[in-house]
Formats: sequence, structure tokens, C-alpha cells
Amino acid sequence: MSTLQADALSVDDFPSEAWFARIVADAKDRPEVYRSLGVASFRLVIEITEAPGHARRFGLVLDGYDIDSAGEIVDLPAFAPDATITAPLEAWKEMLANIEDNGGADRLHSLNALTLAEVPMRVTAADPMGRDRFFRYVETLQTLFDSIGRPSALSP
Amino acid sequence: MVNGSVDLDYYERAKGGKFDLDWMRSVRSEWGIRAKPSKTGLTLRDIAVSSYGMVPDHAPRRTMAPRGCDVRDDVPDMGYTLNDKAEVWSDNLMELYEEAVSRQWSATRDIPWSELPELDPDLEHAMCQFATFLSEVEMVASDFPAKWLWRINHDFVEAKMFLCTQIMDEARHTEVFRKRALAGGGGLGQASPVAERFLKLVLDAQSYDEGSALMHLLAEGLVLSVFRAGELLAPSPVEKRIFRLCMQDEARHVAYGTMHLRYRLEEDPSLAEDFHAYLDQGEDIIAVLFTTPAIVEPAAILAAGSLKAAEETGLVASDIVRTRVVEEYLDRCDRAGLPRRERMRLPAAMLAGTSAGVSEDGGAGSIAASQVV
Repeated sequence: MSTLQADALSVDDFPSEAWFARIVADAKDRPEVYRSLGVASFRLVIEITEAPGHARRFGLVLDGYDIDSAGEIVDLPAFAPDATITAPLEAWKEMLANIEDNGGADRLHSLNALTLAEVPMRVTAADPMGRDRFFRYVETLQTLFDSIGRPSALSP
Repeated sequence: MVNGSVDLDYYERAKGGKFDLDWMRSVRSEWGIRAKPSKTGLTLRDIAVSSYGMVPDHAPRRTMAPRGCDVRDDVPDMGYTLNDKAEVWSDNLMELYEEAVSRQWSATRDIPWSELPELDPDLEHAMCQFATFLSEVEMVASDFPAKWLWRINHDFVEAKMFLCTQIMDEARHTEVFRKRALAGGGGLGQASPVAERFLKLVLDAQSYDEGSALMHLLAEGLVLSVFRAGELLAPSPVEKRIFRLCMQDEARHVAYGTMHLRYRLEEDPSLAEDFHAYLDQGEDIIAVLFTTPAIVEPAAILAAGSLKAAEETGLVASDIVRTRVVEEYLDRCDRAGLPRRERMRLPAAMLAGTSAGVSEDGGAGSIAASQVV
């Protein structure tokens, strides 16, 4: 597993509140990038399944031009997600390592590519309109995750 | 001044500073309503306040007067034919319009054309045929709303504005796929008679209801799934970005179509059978698309990475896309209040792996694809 700078967070730190806080901080450092991608309205859960019946969930909130981390989600109904991307831990780590190694997701490791066949990742939603928001904001989401491929992205 | 006649007496008085000021003194619209910007600026939702935000179920007149203004009796009738809110409305219109305006992109500036690699000739052929098909079908989603736009009452201006963004979006999609076909040296491929029969069905629709169901829900839902597949199959970062950006636009159009149909059916549930009949017709042609070589084979070659590999794997990738197309479409139909799981008309072989019901005679649809060709 590759890592970034010696004092930086790495893929090994995923998933954690610190990891999500850091990619959100990177987004806030580059408001012009996200502003050019346009407004969004999306409450997304990143679900990491680590063992049968055991999952950790982290919330991301896209609101206008703002992107915020909602931290680890314990009360899912209270967070009221539009959609959830769920995958085993190893699939998330493979995606992140690929982004890190290539400076951005390659052909087979974009969020859309990994979710299209519903294996290894799935986008689920109680309401298909919530699921369609994933498509409406896919470039923003990909830019957010691709930011870990930027050399300074996860530096403290 | 009455009915546009030239009032030279008024002109002389005004030259001398004797103004009429009726427009200021006796205007009957609301004064003192101050719309306040929200966090992204002053949005359509922000200005939907007081009487200005009240969209009538039936437009009281057929003029271009901005909703909420003081309308004089001698404003001419524009002859609008869509004068009921339910005919065009959806509850997400304002959000979608703002999003569309904010998320515009340029096929000239925002695609990294200089990074387009030289592809294997078979891959370039496949990509160019794919781009030809998309450049061919996308413009209908400009033509259809444009055909109906002037018939929509101005009281539903938010719907008209959203459709204008769709027209621009689809022009850009036509542009970007035409550019992709020409940028790699392969050029444009074959036009598709089957696809154009579907486009004609949309354009010839006898009502906005019919055309919108066929286009916003069925066709754009299909194309959204095709864009998703295109992003996966993209041979280079150039196509990857094209498909992602197009996907975002298309998802807005589908979101409008789904929620418009829902609104329409909530207002008049008796229309459900009409909508089923429209979609029956559309699905019959879509079934043929799934067996059209110029549409299926380019995707298979792009997915496999070469013609030789595709000949070994067949339609594995296309089948994944077909399954997603069907499932996502059926989910949207459910959301719109028009469940079609037991009614979908694709042949049973094309519904394998989906949740659509298959009748005992072996066909989910009552018409075989071959009957439509």
C-alpha cells in the first residue's frame, strides 16, 4: 500500500473521521475548483463493510458550493441520506490506492465504473431520485475522491 | 395609448415633463415584497414569495405577462395550449434549473482534447460509432422541448426555463460527440434507422404528455445508463470526462421527467393507462435497439478492449448495461407512480437478470422485437 508524504494521512488511515475531514479540508482549500463544477445538494453515506453484519458509515454533505464531512454516522435515519455507496473495505482501499498511484482514478476505478455493475460497489437509496443525485453530482464526487491523488492533498 | 396606436399628444406632454405615471401610481401588483438571497445567491426558490410564488393550477390568461405582474386587459392572447400546471410541472423544477445553470460546461474548453491518444483502429471505429449514435439521438431532446415550449403558458415560466437548459445541454451533447468522432481521425459512422424511428415517435407525439414520457423517462433514462456505461468503457481520460459531464446533465432531465410524471398522475390518476400505452410503444423500439449491431457491438468492443477479445466475451458487458437500464427505468416508473414491472415489453431474453415480470408464454412484452423491425 503506497502512502503519501511521511507525515501525511495515507490510504491505511481510511476509513476514519480524520481521513474524511482531510479530503473536505482539501476541497475547502480549492473553492474555485468546486465552484466551477457547480452547486449540488446531496447527503451521501460512504459505507464500508468490514465483516458480515458489520459496517462503518461516514457522511458527506454537498450543499450549494460547500462540502462538509458529517463524521461517522451512527444514527442513519437521523442523517437522512439521499444515497449510500457501499463496498467492502478492500474495494475502497483498492480504489484509493489506484487514485493515489495514478493521480486520479484510472478507467476501472472511478466511482461510476466501480458501481455500474453493482460489484464491488453499489449505490443504493430509498428513493430512486436520491440515487440519481449520485449521477447528477458525479464529477464533483470524483473530484473530491481524486484529490487524494494530489501530492499535498492529505498533508496535515 | 390604446392597442398600440401612436399617441402624439402624450409624446408632446412627456417632452414637456408631464408624465403619465399610471404605471407607478396605480399598479396592482405587490409592493414591498423583498426576496432575500440564500447561500448560493438569489435563486428561483428565493423569489417564489408571496403572490409571485403562487403558480396557478390553471392559467387565468394566455399572455407573456410575468406571473404576478399587473396585466392590462388589452394584452394579446398568445394562443398557448398547455394552460394547466399539471401538464408541465414538477416539484423539483426550480432546483433543477438552478443546478443546470450552475453546472454548465463547455465541450470546447472543458474536455482535455489535447490528451486524446491514438487508439487501435478497431477501438477508434467503435468509439466513433458510439459517438455517432449519441450525436444522432441527443438532439431530439432539444427538438422536442423546443417544439412544445411556445405552447406552454407563461405562468409556468420555471418549466419553460428548465426546458431551455435542457435544450442547451443536448446541443452540447450533440456537439461533444460530434467533436469526439472527428478528433480521433475515425470520423462519423453509420446512422441508425431504428434509433431514428424512436426519435420520430418522440417528435410526432400528439401531446406533451406522450412525448415527455417517451423522452424524459424512457429515452433519457436509457441514455443516462449508456453514459454510465460509456464512462466505464472509455478508452481514455478524454471520453471519461465527456461521459461524466454528460451523465450529470442527463440525470437532471430524467429527474424532471420522473417527477413531472408523478405530479401529472397525482393530479389525474386516470391518465395512467395513456402513459402505459405511450411507454409500450417506446419499449417496443428500445427492444430493437438492443439487437442492433451498430449499437451493441461498439460497446462490446470498447468493453473488451479489442475486437478479438470482444469476439471471445460476446455481450457480457452489454448485458450488464442492459440489466442496469431496465432496473433503473423500472425504479423510476415506480417512483413516478406508474409501475411497469409486470408490463414491460422487452422480450423475455432481454429481461433475464432483471426484476421485470416474465409471462408464461415466454415474453414479457406482448410484441416480439422482430415484429417491429
